[in-house]
Amino acid sequence: MIIEVNNVSKEFVSPKKYPGLKGAIKGLFSNEKVRKMAVEDISFSIEEGEIVGYIGSNGAGKSTTIKMMTGILTPTSGQCLIRGIDPSKERKKNAQNIGVVFGQRTQLWWDLPLSESFSILKEIYNVSDEDYESQMKFLNEVLELEEFWTRPVRNLSLGQRMRADLGAALLHNPKVLYLDEPTIGLDLVVKDNIRKAIREINEKYKTTVILTTHDIEDIEELCNRIIIIDDGKKIYDGSLENLKEKYGVTRKVTMEVKNLKEARQVDLSSALHVSKEAYEVTTDKATNSVEVAFDKHCLSISDVIAQYMKHTEVKDIQIQETELSEIVKEIYRHGMEQETKQNEEGMVS
Amino acid sequence: MKELKRYGRLYKVFVAQFFKYLVQSRVDFLIGLMGFFLTQAAGIAFLYLVFEQIPTLADWTLPQLIFIYGFAQIPRGLDHLFTDNIWMVSWWYVVNGQFDRYMLRPMNLFFQVICEKLQPDALGELMVGILLLAMSLSNGVVAISGTKIILFIISMIAGAVIYTSIKLLFASFAFWMKVSGPVLYTAYQLADFAKYPTEIYAKGIRFIITWIIPFGFVAYLPASYFLKPGVSPWSTIGLECMLAVVFFAISYGVFHFGTKAYESAGN
Repeated sequence: MIIEVNNVSKEFVSPKKYPGLKGAIKGLFSNEKVRKMAVEDISFSIEEGEIVGYIGSNGAGKSTTIKMMTGILTPTSGQCLIRGIDPSKERKKNAQNIGVVFGQRTQLWWDLPLSESFSILKEIYNVSDEDYESQMKFLNEVLELEEFWTRPVRNLSLGQRMRADLGAALLHNPKVLYLDEPTIGLDLVVKDNIRKAIREINEKYKTTVILTTHDIEDIEELCNRIIIIDDGKKIYDGSLENLKEKYGVTRKVTMEVKNLKEARQVDLSSALHVSKEAYEVTTDKATNSVEVAFDKHCLSISDVIAQYMKHTEVKDIQIQETELSEIVKEIYRHGMEQETKQNEEGMVS
Repeated sequence: MKELKRYGRLYKVFVAQFFKYLVQSRVDFLIGLMGFFLTQAAGIAFLYLVFEQIPTLADWTLPQLIFIYGFAQIPRGLDHLFTDNIWMVSWWYVVNGQFDRYMLRPMNLFFQVICEKLQPDALGELMVGILLLAMSLSNGVVAISGTKIILFIISMIAGAVIYTSIKLLFASFAFWMKVSGPVLYTAYQLADFAKYPTEIYAKGIRFIITWIIPFGFVAYLPASYFLKPGVSPWSTIGLECMLAVVFFAISYGVFHFGTKAYESAGN
């Protein structure tokens, strides 16, 4: 195991604030504290060479977890071990093993030409001349840094900056690469290039990659495993297929029919002996089509189509699997519903 | 040793950047320097004005006071030149999360903060300090000897360390307060008191700048060794060095402790 996260929690404590000037004065004399659990008792382990997507809605605790794993934050309780090193105790030693890219904030020197930033990083990470040469050659191939090699970082476009940042994080060939929203705000072509680069690096060096993102395509194209966190707690850890299997139970069949009236006569519940809750039928007069959304554990596609074909002539069939983005949305919504429920219950009692 | 060499090499890269900057932005640099000279000239003019009214100030003559004034500028200039980036920690880096990048690199945090920037404005302070010292020396206020030159250099370095320690201590409060710039600014303002003999101040102020924020030790106390006959170097420059070591240890400890409490910032 290259990464082990054991029962890690992080609590932020801040002084309680009251509104207005009066409140500000009151705040000076009160000793009340607001506690917020950003991450609560999270555990997982990751093997070398995995690409893991770490996803959750805004404020779910993704960045906080990453920051604890990189040594920026000290956990309130629990421990992270990255290649056997606890980053909060041996920050420098851990830093030599990792590369980090924060999509929203560059780590390069704003006013310096990119080439200077790299020569500084070469000294910081103690990269030998030969290693530097060969790594730069590889990075130039996948990220094409030469295009803007002599320009100051502040003059780079967002896409160029992201490539530069990714290159900078990889100069010392780290064993673990953390990417916090690496494709945020990029156009499709650049996004694609960045993903390709990440895949190539993972293949060539067996670099372990942990990435947080809101872009579902990042996950679908890169990750073989995902961890979902909501409100500071881990709610899913497993493969993408598994998640689709577990949560993506709804399927949609859209059929273009010759006669909508005939199609309306189909009664799936009595014909196939299932409850009416297991499916939902909507008809569209403009396109002459029927859309059936159903739970794939209760009904099969062939049965549904067969029923309609019995009653009317079906001209065209489209089958849709639930997309990951919808699954994730569903999970977030589910989490939020639970939260509001709890709040309501709290208010009653 | 190897480790030290690496730090040295890295520092050289930043120093080279600094010189590049100086060459590229001569105009900015000269304007900054001019501004600084004007401020300093006003300070000196003030001294002359006072001395037109009274012949001595707490038993100090004008050339002696100029010596102290100049003496105070040099450690301040050294600190300003080499550790100016500490201000950024107190005002910005903690509250907006930019301190993250230091935490991610396999190097000493304090070193990373100070090596990133050399402040050209400080050259003005250094020049003014040297100029004033030369002026007062030409008036014969100090009998120059080999020992005195060595002790002078030591005292300058110790004084700069005291300045840095004070800055580091108050900047470190940012790890808990998020922004400690105003506090640091207030504390740093007290450094102006160092330019004159501490005897001229009221008891309360004297106590603060000697024992709480020890700016009194960066100029007046060591300068008195050079100016007054029969003053022991141990009780002046020795004391200054000791204080520099103790105060830096405290500040560095608080800084280190602060980085553990660092909370970064949300995106």
